[in-house]
Formats: sequence, C-alpha cells, structure tokens
Amino acid sequence: MKTRNFYWSLEKGDLLSVLLILPTFLIIFFIMILPLSYGFLLSFFDVGFGLSNPTENFIGLDNYRRFLNDSIAQRAILNTLIFSFGAIAGTFFFGTVNAVLLHKLSRRFSAVLRPLLIMPLLISPLIVGLIWRYIYDPQGILYWFLGLFGLGIQHFPGVTASSTALLSTIIAHWWQVTPFIIIVLTAGLLSIPEEYYEAAYVDGAGAFSSFFRITLPLLKNTYMVILLLSGVDTFRVFDIIFSLTGGGPNNSSVSISIYAHSQAFNQANMSYAMALSTIAMFITFVVFGIPFIRHNIKKSKS
Amino acid sequence: MVRFKRKWYVKLMMAVLIMVALVWTLVPIYIVVSNAFRATLDIHQMPPQLIFKPIFIHFQRIFEFDNFGRFFRNSLVISTTTTFLSIMMGSLAAYGVKLCRSSWGRRLSNTLLLGRMVPAITILIPLFIMMNRAGLTGTRAAVILAHTSLTLPFVTWLMTGFIEGIPDELLEAANAEGCSRLMAFFRIVFPLLRPAVASAAILVMQTSWNELIFSLQLTNIRTFPLTVGVARYVGAVSVDWGRSSAAATITMVPIIIFGFLMQKYLISGMTAGAVKG
Repeated sequence: MKTRNFYWSLEKGDLLSVLLILPTFLIIFFIMILPLSYGFLLSFFDVGFGLSNPTENFIGLDNYRRFLNDSIAQRAILNTLIFSFGAIAGTFFFGTVNAVLLHKLSRRFSAVLRPLLIMPLLISPLIVGLIWRYIYDPQGILYWFLGLFGLGIQHFPGVTASSTALLSTIIAHWWQVTPFIIIVLTAGLLSIPEEYYEAAYVDGAGAFSSFFRITLPLLKNTYMVILLLSGVDTFRVFDIIFSLTGGGPNNSSVSISIYAHSQAFNQANMSYAMALSTIAMFITFVVFGIPFIRHNIKKSKS
Repeated sequence: MVRFKRKWYVKLMMAVLIMVALVWTLVPIYIVVSNAFRATLDIHQMPPQLIFKPIFIHFQRIFEFDNFGRFFRNSLVISTTTTFLSIMMGSLAAYGVKLCRSSWGRRLSNTLLLGRMVPAITILIPLFIMMNRAGLTGTRAAVILAHTSLTLPFVTWLMTGFIEGIPDELLEAANAEGCSRLMAFFRIVFPLLRPAVASAAILVMQTSWNELIFSLQLTNIRTFPLTVGVARYVGAVSVDWGRSSAAATITMVPIIIFGFLMQKYLISGMTAGAVKG
C-alpha cells in the first residue's frame, strides 16, 4: 500500500491542519480579539446605553482625560494594586508553610488532608464573598469569636469601615486561593531529589536552613510562574468584592473591574468603562504580562 | 524523605498548625451549608448550635418562588456544553498543530495563553454591545461562547503538550494501515489523551459553573445560571441569609463532589498549568 505523507505540506495544498485549527481560531478571534479591538475603538467615542449607533460621537481622548480627573477611578487602580500585593503575599506565605508541612507528613496522612484542603478552590468566588459576608457580620461568628477574647467590632471593624474593608476582601481571597499555592508547591517539592536533603542533613543543616538553601532556590521557577499567574488573576478581581463589600463603604474597596462594571451597567457610561478596562488591561500587561513572556522565552531557550 | 529527629514540641506544633488549617478551611463551608438548614432566627444565634433539627424551608422557597430548578438546568447546560466544545476544539486544534510539524504551531499555542492576561471586564463590555446587536444577549449560547473563549486557550495549550508526547511512529503505523488522519485522531490520539481530557473537563467545568461576570450581563431571567441566581440575593443592602445559604449550597455542593471525584486530574491540571507555565 502506498504510504501517504502523514504530515502537512503546504505545497501539496493539504489544508487539514488549517481546518483543525480553524474553529479554535474563530472562537478566539470573534470572542476575544474582535471585542478587544472594538472596545479599544469605542473608548474614543461617547457611547451610552442606547446602542443604535455606537460610533456616532467621536470624542478623542476625552474618556482617558476623564480618568485623570476621576479620583474614584484612581482609587480603584490603587486598591486593585493593593489587593494584588496583599493577596499574593498572604497566599504565598500560608501556601509555603502548609505545603512544607504537608510534605513532612506521612504520605497516607497528607493524602487524607489534601482533598479537604482543596475544597475552597472549587467554590465560586461569588459564594466565597457571600460566606465571608456571614463571617464578618456584626452578629456573625467572627465577632462572637473575638468576643471570647474581649475584642469587639471597634478593634477590627471588618467590612463596616473604610480602613479595613479592602483587607477583609484580601483575607477572604487568602482563604480561597491558598490551596492553589499548596497544590503547586507540593508538586514542586516532590520534584526535588531527596539526596539533596540527605546531603544537607549529613552536613548538619537543620530543617530551616535546608529550606532556605535547597527548597527555595530550586523552586524559584515555580514561584516565578505562580507569581505572574496570581498577579494576572488578582488584578481582575471582581466576584469576591462584588458579593462581600460591593466596593464600599465609601468606595474604599472598589477594584478597577468593579468600578468599570458599574460605570458600564449602572451609570450607562459604556465608553468610559471601556477606556477604564483598557487601562486595566494595559497595566496587567506591563506589570505581569511582559515578565511572563520574558520568562517563557528564557525558559524555552535553556 | 529525610526525617529530622523531631522533639515532642515540634510534633505538637505541627499538630496544632494542621488543626488550625483544617478549622480555617472547613468552618466557613460548614457555616454556609448548616445555615441553609436552619430557621432564620437560629442563624443569628451565637455560638452556633452544633446539633439542631434540619429544616428544608429555604430550599423549598428558592425552588418554588425563585426558579432555582431552572437556574440549575441552565448551569448544567451551559457548563457541560462549554466543556464539550472546549475539549473538542482544543484537542482538534492541538492535533492540527502536531500535524503541521512546524515550530510556529507550538508558538501559536503559547501565544494563545496571553488570553489569560485579558481581564474579563475588558472583553465583556464590547462583547455585550456586539451580542446585543446580534440579538444574542439573553441566550445560553451567548454565555457558552464567552465561556468557551475563556477556557479554550488553556485547553489548547494543555492538549498541545500532551499530543506532542505521542510518538510519530504510532501515527505513521496507523497511516500505513490505511487509517485516515482524522480517523487516527478519534481512534488513537483521543483515547491517549484521556488524562488531559479529564483534567480539562474538571477545570473547564469548574470555571464555567462558577463564572459570574459574563453570565451576569449576557443572560436574562429565563437563562440565568446558578451564580447569577445567588448574586441576586447579595446585590441588595441586606442579605436573606436563609435563602442565600440554600442557594449557595445548591450551587457549590455538586461542583465540590465532582471535584472530589476528579481530584487527581484537578491537581495534575493545575500543576501542569503552573509548573510548565
């Protein structure tokens, strides 16, 4: 039997691979690339909720100028950066501690614990916000618990005060996302050969110094990747704030996604919202995207 | 694993830390699930009664008055269709990348991952206008398309990695026996992808089932999924604790059970995404 060439060759006009890739390409094009370009275009127009002809009133850079004079929008950007930073710092710290702890336990025991610990990951962030809304309720379990130590709402006002609302959303985020860091770091820990630790042990290194001298340097790459992924994920935070504080009190916990969403769908400033979300995407790209690409290039070279 | 000789206080400290981690993780889930079965007055009673007679009034109400039966069906249709589309398209595209055997294919699938960086809100607002003009808002199709584009980049990337590992000889042997390339995909490649398909299935299902922001704007009362149903309780200043707990329980319990069953694949999918990056 004659063997046809199994692989694609353009010269023969064989288009099977193009056909296979086409559906994916079309979806990405129509539901991602096209809306992004369209949104960028519309951010130079004045678009309200009446959508008969969005490209009617060209206003140039007005929407971007408006951002420069909008203190709530700037607050939202700042809040989002604080949220990202706080969320990442906390999940990394608690994730590392727990991953190392689980790794030190007997395999059977950690096999029982792990499925319990990953439960929060499966819950919608919207519901996570709702759960924490119960917890932070003045009549809820948190203040009952603090009351046992003689502490009350005046010591930690939670979601009721501007000073702690954002922190409260960050804590709820820790609750949900720490398991993700545990899972990834556990996989990383398993990849480190035991001989390294044995050698360190023979040299008289204790648990702490072998962590800082062996574990951390060897997991640098893993940390780098989850840092960038977490950065991207936290910078678009919406659901958890939506259900926990709604951005309040007094816009103290408003994130850029929350603010753009309310500008678009509550205030009917569609084009201003598109300008805001374009700015959000730009910041994400500069802060997390470029390092991500550079990291990938470096890795594929080595 | 080297076991450092541990003093008793180190063991005690580890035990305490584990207890704290467990209580920290499980108590919030217990609170919401148990509230769903309590009378509204009892919910506010502190300390919470650990033993109480469960009542089902909140569940009854959300199904009878708030259409949660319909929302549940919508969620099921949206998330299973998204999962099917995403896996089919993603694995076919990955096979296409393999067949053309050029390095730009791999690069293309890496570039797709940049899609992860786009905040949902940046796509949503213009997409909402486009869908509106196309007359698609309010349909389940609109949400399914949005969720598919949200998950497709990752699925394609995951599948590309798996298909790359399939030896060329296998495909060539199939070809020699008269198997067309498309048939080879369904007979040989797809069965070998089973672990990747399982990982993609739980990750996509979870994403779609729990997604809020697209569902919120692209659906209407007939097509609301569960998350939007829950969101309708929390939008207001005060929250109806009983009903929202019941709604949250209905929403999270199925996906937690599914995640438990698919644990192994959930973990391998997440680590593949993060570690290989």
